[in-house]
Amino acid sequence: MEVKLKIWRYDAYSGDRELRDYELEAPEWACLLDVLDLIKDQQDGTLAYRKSCRMMICGSCGMRMDGRAILACKERMKPIVDRGHVPVISAMGNMPIVKDLVVDMDPFWSKIRRMKPWLEPGYDEVLERERIVSQQQMNAIQKEALCIMCGCCVSECNSMESDPEFFGPAALAKGFRFVGDTRDQASIERLEDYNDEHGIWDCTRCYFCNERCPKGVDPRDAIAKLGAESVKEGIDRDMGAKHAKWFVKSAETTGWLRETELVPKTQGIVAAVKQTKFAIGLAKKGKVPPPIPPHVAADVGESRALRQLVREQGREGAQGIIQGERGLARIEHTDAGGARRDAPEVTPGEEPPKAEG
Amino acid sequence: MEAKHDVLIVGAGCAGMRAAIEAFDAGADVALLSKIHPVRSHSGAAEGGINAALGNASEDDPEKHAFDTVKGSDYLGDQDAIEVLCNEAPEDVYQLEHWGAVFSRTEDGRIAQRPFGAAGEPRTAYAADITGHVLVHVLYEQVMKRNIQTYEEYFAWQLVINDDRCQGVIAWDLLNGGLKTIGAKTVILATGGAGRLYVGTTNAYACTGDGMTMALRAGVPLKDMEMMQFHPTTLAPTGILITEGTRGEGAYLLNSEGERFLKRYAPNAMELASRDVISRAEQTEIDEGRGVDGNVLLDMRHLGAEKIIERLHGTRELAMTYAGVDPIHEPIPVRPGAHYHMGGVDTDLDGRTELEGLYAAGECACVSVHGANRLGGNALMETITYGKRAGRHAADWALTHTTIEVPESVEADAEHDLKLLLDRSDGERPWSIRNELAETMHENFGVFRKEDQMREQGEIVSGLRERYEHIVVDDKGDVFNNDLTQALELGFLLELAQCMVVCGLARKESRGAHARPYDYPDRDDDNYLMHTLVRWVADAPVLDWKPVKMTKWKPMERTY
Ligand SMILES: Cc1cc2nc3c(=O)[nH]c(=O)nc-3n(C[C@H](O)[C@H](O)[C@H](O)COP(=O)(O)OP(=O)(O)OC[C@H]3O[C@@H](n4cnc5c(N)ncnc54)[C@H](O)[C@@H]3O)c2cc1C
Ligand code: SF4
Ligand code: SF4
Ligand code: FES
Repeated sequence: MEVKLKIWRYDAYSGDRELRDYELEAPEWACLLDVLDLIKDQQDGTLAYRKSCRMMICGSCGMRMDGRAILACKERMKPIVDRGHVPVISAMGNMPIVKDLVVDMDPFWSKIRRMKPWLEPGYDEVLERERIVSQQQMNAIQKEALCIMCGCCVSECNSMESDPEFFGPAALAKGFRFVGDTRDQASIERLEDYNDEHGIWDCTRCYFCNERCPKGVDPRDAIAKLGAESVKEGIDRDMGAKHAKWFVKSAETTGWLRETELVPKTQGIVAAVKQTKFAIGLAKKGKVPPPIPPHVAADVGESRALRQLVREQGREGAQGIIQGERGLARIEHTDAGGARRDAPEVTPGEEPPKAEG
Repeated sequence: MEAKHDVLIVGAGCAGMRAAIEAFDAGADVALLSKIHPVRSHSGAAEGGINAALGNASEDDPEKHAFDTVKGSDYLGDQDAIEVLCNEAPEDVYQLEHWGAVFSRTEDGRIAQRPFGAAGEPRTAYAADITGHVLVHVLYEQVMKRNIQTYEEYFAWQLVINDDRCQGVIAWDLLNGGLKTIGAKTVILATGGAGRLYVGTTNAYACTGDGMTMALRAGVPLKDMEMMQFHPTTLAPTGILITEGTRGEGAYLLNSEGERFLKRYAPNAMELASRDVISRAEQTEIDEGRGVDGNVLLDMRHLGAEKIIERLHGTRELAMTYAGVDPIHEPIPVRPGAHYHMGGVDTDLDGRTELEGLYAAGECACVSVHGANRLGGNALMETITYGKRAGRHAADWALTHTTIEVPESVEADAEHDLKLLLDRSDGERPWSIRNELAETMHENFGVFRKEDQMREQGEIVSGLRERYEHIVVDDKGDVFNNDLTQALELGFLLELAQCMVVCGLARKESRGAHARPYDYPDRDDDNYLMHTLVRWVADAPVLDWKPVKMTKWKPMERTY
């Protein structure tokens, strides 16, 4: 097939950027990575990008296609070519570019290190046998353990864009990998640490990390779990934690969110007084109901039952999600016509029908 | 010289990182050096599991593990090395668990173990279908915990030999450019396999046999280089691995006539026969015209969508992404692909090579525990156990020897050679040589080997080596110049290919991965119960032999 694409080249010496056009013949099975290989071999040996496994497991080939982070070895070109689309390839975001599609991953790794990313079992010697851990307990960190450290989530993180010191989705998911591990004896210290400035409460909940993670790690969910664990352990000094606590409390008692009390509960009385003028303005326009007596929703029982369910299931309530479900859903989504839906029979002597791709 | 260490480990996959941890804990000043970031190493691609006689799923003991391994090796494995592996394996796996490896669990909370090809007991410990990924990450966590210095994205090119000792490495710094010399009292090679010798391979782009060739060029012999294992179910055309687990779950292998052809090759075990048996059966079908575009079909439609989604999720994702085939609705085209190099740098039980100060561990080494055929799950175990042993010994040795001396001429020579290559502006780019090498190796030195084809391949490789002398590197820059490193990798591969052909021709029998059905269809213990050994002398491979070490087990016929 005839592939066309544009690549943002970046000159390592001058820092100049240039969008260059490429056209080439590629086999129908080619992924973006194969196409880049063909360009590097046959057109321009100076094109720089990372690669190794070419099977979505080493995390080398993170880059952007049309502005969204992807693994080059995971993107099939056929559907794109069929649409007549000319994709634009560029380096990942939120990390300094070294050359072309290669970014400096040092800031990424220093944040991972910042998490003290190793198990603290509470002893040094090797015991005679393995520890007894149920599969269910292991499942609690199943998704976080899938992370291949590709950086796609960090590339897209909104919070990171405004605060480069924000720990970021990958590091926090790694953090939960230990907090959620029953074998770890340092979970409280970790939670204290992750509650610091630039920590879990600085996430804007834009969900871009969940959306773009090629492995279905769902880092935003890991951050939510860290938040829940923190509140459970009484670590709620951050405004974010107080905010979240009030949401739950309000929903549980009245079935809806009492916004008038949100500011004092989250930011304290002083801040609330400062906001009074604003609140009165809102009230005049009919945007805020009078706070007393609190209005209780008719179906408050439902919201209480839900809260009870979450309480009972705890961390395990989030399970039952198939590994990489999200990633796979995306393949099906973008490639609906690629794989056939009906099951063809294998007729003796005849070549079985092939997929279009 | 950039830096000096007691122990410098080249390669940071499972073997390299395990060695680094051990050497560090023994008190040595340790550094890792790797051409890609440690967690990007191809160990991470291992899906199936790691073998140790933990006895969690059945009565098992290291002796049974050893026997299965000896037999699986077609009696070419060194039995002392196999015993060491099997005896130390359980404790080494427990260690990984205590470091935090996320193993799958049994009902009673122990490490789960699954049955694997040619193993008498369910002995393969695993973490879902991402065992290697889990191990790479747990080892890197321990490396970070110890704050072990890591030269990331440094491409090792030459060993520094001085005073008949290996005293360091000369490497190309990918991010900043330039050759850097790193001195060390001991160097451990842990650079992994060389699957990139073949077009269809389960190996990553980084698996180019660098460490093997570096050792070879330093005068150290390689062992059993003809022994390249072919995995029966790799995805056409790229060779991406479809795990044995699909057949474990009941998938069928069909030819173009829709026939489950294994009934004619392995009527009892059928799809669960050993890797070499199935690979040969597939190749026979393909060669006799019953293939589909050079493949056979792996059919799991009868398993049903639910089972496929639940148990074989990763496989479905791979098939959909890389073959455009949804296995719920269509069979997957598969063929044998180069998977694992049983051969490698000849070492003793502590990873020591012939050259003082130089060690090797993992897939680039040949102790040998796999002999002529590796059992699934034994390679990861080897990286851990022998990585540990090499790390320990290298540290002990380094701590009792003090000096490092790198003569200036060594660095100057390397600079000179590199300049010659970079200054050349007229000639062929390396990629066509690389593609021709990989295609012809598949054709002429694949699942079946014929005398005339092997000879032809020897000539082809010589021709490619001549062309390689005149290659041109497009990128002349310093920053992330992997155009240069890929060219150097091709140089490594070409010399290995030549070694393999020489060894393949010399072994006039069929044993394990070395199948010569046309002229020597049987195993010949009288003449070839020996390792091939190959040395690089005057720019050419020279063949030698080395006896196999026997302890308890006498060779028997290998049937399953
Ligand atoms: C798809 C697949 C599945 C597998 N599944 C299993 C399984 O289920 N069970 C099992 O036991 N085995 C399995 N194997 C085999 C096993 O995974 C490998 O043999 C083993 O992981 C090799 O580990 P290693 O540490 O020796 O090398 P690798 O993990 O390949 O690491 C090599 C390291 O060397 C570095 N390096 C290489 N050259 C240079 C250089 N010139 N300069 C600097 N650094 C360099 C690389 O950067 C890398 O860090 C599988 C193999 C494949 C390909
Ligand atoms: S949800 Fe939070 S961590 Fe994820 S991308 Fe958005 S701001 Fe970043
Ligand atoms: S969480 Fe996902 S996107 Fe982020 S580094 Fe890990 S695998 Fe990549
Ligand atoms: S090359 Fe390894 S993830 Fe893409």
